[in-house]
Amino acid sequence: MRVRPAEKPGHVRAPDYLKGRSGWISCVLGHFPNPEDVAYGLSGMPEKTLYRVSFRQSNLWDGYEGPDGDRLYADVYEHWLEPEGER
Amino acid sequence: MSGVHDIGGSSGGPIDQSQHDVEDWERLADAINSALGGKGLQTTDQHRRAIESLPNYRDLGYYERWTAATEKLLIENGILTQAEIDEKAGEIERRWGGS
Repeated sequence: MRVRPAEKPGHVRAPDYLKGRSGWISCVLGHFPNPEDVAYGLSGMPEKTLYRVSFRQSNLWDGYEGPDGDRLYADVYEHWLEPEGER
Repeated sequence: MSGVHDIGGSSGGPIDQSQHDVEDWERLADAINSALGGKGLQTTDQHRRAIESLPNYRDLGYYERWTAATEKLLIENGILTQAEIDEKAGEIERRWGGS
């Protein structure tokens, strides 16, 4: 998967440093009202799936010097994810 | 970057790790927020969004952001008006002998 490199104004739940970065789905955390809509007083329905996504640290930081196996795990909602290669 | 809060991963200077005791007004700010949430008058997501959109975010301390955001939401959600808040703040200022 890849985190969409989109710019969305206002309250978003995808950190900037992950946008456009590739990772792997580690597990499904559940389904929740979309917090990006709830933040504006809306219902947040339909619920969105929240995934735990694994990223190689060396894919995130220039000049990363830690072990190759180092991973960063982040919780990312489905609407911020896209299959690798698709734009 | 979606807002001033979204600085994770950016390079920054040293972190100020000095501690201070929690002040009474900070406990009160926390309690008011919990009460508003418990009454269904505000959600954590709304509060976060309101904090992130404060134009003076970088000038405020943690609970100063909380109170400024709560004030904004109370007005936005039609619970209090700016005039009512200003009037009460003025009353408290006079009672406590502000200049």
